Amino acid sequence: MFSTSSQRKFWTFGDENELVCLREKHNLQFILKHGVHIDEYQRYNFFLTPDEERLLLKQYELHLKEFCKRFNPPMPKGVVGTAFHYFKRFYLYNSSMDYHPKEILATCVYLACKVEEFNVSIGQFVANIKGDREKASDIILNNELLLMQQLNYHLTIHNPFRPVEGFLIDIKTRCTLANPERLRGGIDEFLEKVFLTDACLLYAPSQIALAAVLHAASKEQENLDSYVTEMLFRDAGPDKLAILIEAVRKIRSMVKMVESPARERVRIIEKKLDRCRNQENNPDSEIYKRRMREALDEDDLPYTSSNNRMSLDTSGISQVSNS
Amino acid sequence: MDDQACPRCKTTKYRNPSLKLMVNVCGHALCESCVDLLFLKGSGSCPDCNVPLRRSNFRVQLFEDPMVEKEIDIRKRVLKDYNKKEEDFATLREYNDYLEEIETIIYNLTNNIDVVGTNKRIEQYKKDNKELIMKNKAKIGREEIELEEILEIEKQMEELRRAEIARMEQEAKKQKIREKEALIDELMFAEGDAKDILNTFAQTVASNKQEEVLPPVPKITQFSTGVKFTTRGLEQTPMVTIEEGPLYRYEAPPVPDRCGPDPPSLHEIMTQGYLRHVKAETETEKAGGYSSQLPCLRALQDALAGLYHAS
Repeated sequence: MFSTSSQRKFWTFGDENELVCLREKHNLQFILKHGVHIDEYQRYNFFLTPDEERLLLKQYELHLKEFCKRFNPPMPKGVVGTAFHYFKRFYLYNSSMDYHPKEILATCVYLACKVEEFNVSIGQFVANIKGDREKASDIILNNELLLMQQLNYHLTIHNPFRPVEGFLIDIKTRCTLANPERLRGGIDEFLEKVFLTDACLLYAPSQIALAAVLHAASKEQENLDSYVTEMLFRDAGPDKLAILIEAVRKIRSMVKMVESPARERVRIIEKKLDRCRNQENNPDSEIYKRRMREALDEDDLPYTSSNNRMSLDTSGISQVSNS
Repeated sequence: MDDQACPRCKTTKYRNPSLKLMVNVCGHALCESCVDLLFLKGSGSCPDCNVPLRRSNFRVQLFEDPMVEKEIDIRKRVLKDYNKKEEDFATLREYNDYLEEIETIIYNLTNNIDVVGTNKRIEQYKKDNKELIMKNKAKIGREEIELEEILEIEKQMEELRRAEIARMEQEAKKQKIREKEALIDELMFAEGDAKDILNTFAQTVASNKQEEVLPPVPKITQFSTGVKFTTRGLEQTPMVTIEEGPLYRYEAPPVPDRCGPDPPSLHEIMTQGYLRHVKAETETEKAGGYSSQLPCLRALQDALAGLYHAS
C-alpha cells in the first residue's frame, strides 16, 4: 500500500523546489570535487549547469520511453513506469556528469524488468541495444549494484496503472457514465506523458491515476466531478478535497507543459558532457580500464594500499582538464 | 624405574619394593620413610638445598625426573596469578606474548635463573592486575566445581553398573549350582533312565543359556553429549506438569492509515456488482486457486490509497 511504502516515506517530495535543490546540490558537488583547479568562469563553460543537466535528462527520458516501446518481447507498462522511477530517483542524488545517462538508462530498465518480474535474460535484453552488445551487458551488470545502492534498495514502485484499473472498475460500478472503456485511450496517453514530468516524485500514484482519468473524461466531454466529490470524497471533508483538486490541477498542468527539448541544444550539451564527464566512470576511458584491471589485480594482492586510489583520482582530473 | 633410589637413605626400589619417592616444591626427592623421619614435626628443611618445607606439601613423585615435578609445582603457583584468558586480550599476538612471558618466568624459576628478579616481576604483575586475577580466580573456581560435579556423577554411575554386573554374575552362579543339585536329586530318586534324565537336563540348561546370552548391558543414563536421560527423573517425580500460558488468540493486525477513502470490503465487492466489471476467472484458473475478487479488491485499494496524500 502506498501510504506505508518507502516510496511515500523517502521518494515523494514536497514540491518542485525540493527536487531542484537536490539536483543543484549534486551538480555543484560534482563541480567542486572535479573542478578545483579551474577558475570560476572557465568552470561554468566546462561543466554542465543544472539547467543543462535537466535538459539532457529530459532527452534521455524520451530515449527511455522509445527504448521501452521498441523492446522485444513487448514490455508491460509497469516495467516502464518502474524504470522511469528508478531513472529519476538516481539522478536526484547523482550528477549526469558522474554517470552517463545512457548507461544508467539501460541499467534502470534492466533492473525494472527484474523487479516487475518481466523475465528477460541479459542476453535477450542487450539484443535490443544497438552497437557492441557485450560491452553493453558489461556496463549494465557493472552498474546494477551501484544503481540499487543509490536507490537505497527501495525497489518496490507503486505505479499509477493499477489504480487506474481500480478507478475504472469503481466508475463502472458506481457511476452512470456511458462506456467508460472509451477513456482508456486518453488515460494511456496521459500516463505516458506523466512519466516525462516529475509528477511521480511529488504525488501519490492514485492521485496521478485520478488525474489521468479526469483528463481523459474531459477530453471525451464527460464530467466526472460529481464522482469525485460525491463518491470518493463524500466522507472526507472539504480540506482534503481541496488538496486533491490542487494536486490534479498541478499534475495536469505539468503534463501539458511537457515538450521535447530542442535537438540542437541537446547535441551541444552532449558534446560538452563528453569532455567534462567523470572519466573514472567512462568505460571507454583509459582510467576506467586501468581501474578495472587494478580491481582485478587487487583480488590477487589483498594488500594494495588505498593510496593508489587517491592518486588515481587526481590523475584522472588532470587528464580531464588537459583534454 | 628400578634404579630409583632415595638420595638420603640410599634405599632402592629393588631393596624395598614398596619404596615411594616424594617431592616437595624444591624438586628434591625423598623416600616416604625419610619424610616421616625428617618431618616429624610437620616442617623442616630439605636435606639437599636447605629450603624450608612443609610436610603437607609432599606428594608422590610421578615423573622420573624430579625437575619436572618442581616445574609442575612452580607452574601451578605461577598460573594461580597468571590466570588471564584469551578473551582478556585484544589481539592474539598480545595473548601469545603473555603466554611467552609465563613460560619465561617458569623456566627461570625452575632453573634458578635470576630468581629474585623474577619474583619481583611476579609481585609487580600481581599488584598491577589484582582485580582481574581475583575475577578470573572466581571464574575458574566455578568451572572447577562444575567439573567435579560431573566427575562425581560419572563415578556413581560406574559403581552402580559394577554392582549390577556383580549381582547378575552371582545370580548366574547360584542358578548353575541349583541346576546341578536338581540333576543329582533327579538321578538319585527318579525311576526313569539315567540317560533320559541327563538329556532333558542338558536341553533345559542349553535353552536357559540361550536366554542368558545377552550380557548384562550396563545401563546407559546419558547421551553421548553428556546430557542425562530424563527417565530417571520421571521415575522419581510422577509427572512434570508443563506450565502453559494463556492460549494463543489471533488478533487481526491493525489496518494502517490508508491515507484515502475506505475501499469496499471483500463482501461488498461480491454483493455490489464490482465483479461484473472484472474478467471472471476461467475454469483452469479456478483450479489453480485464482479468483477474481482479490485482484479486484487490490485494484480498488490501490486506487483509493494515497488520495488524501498531501506534501
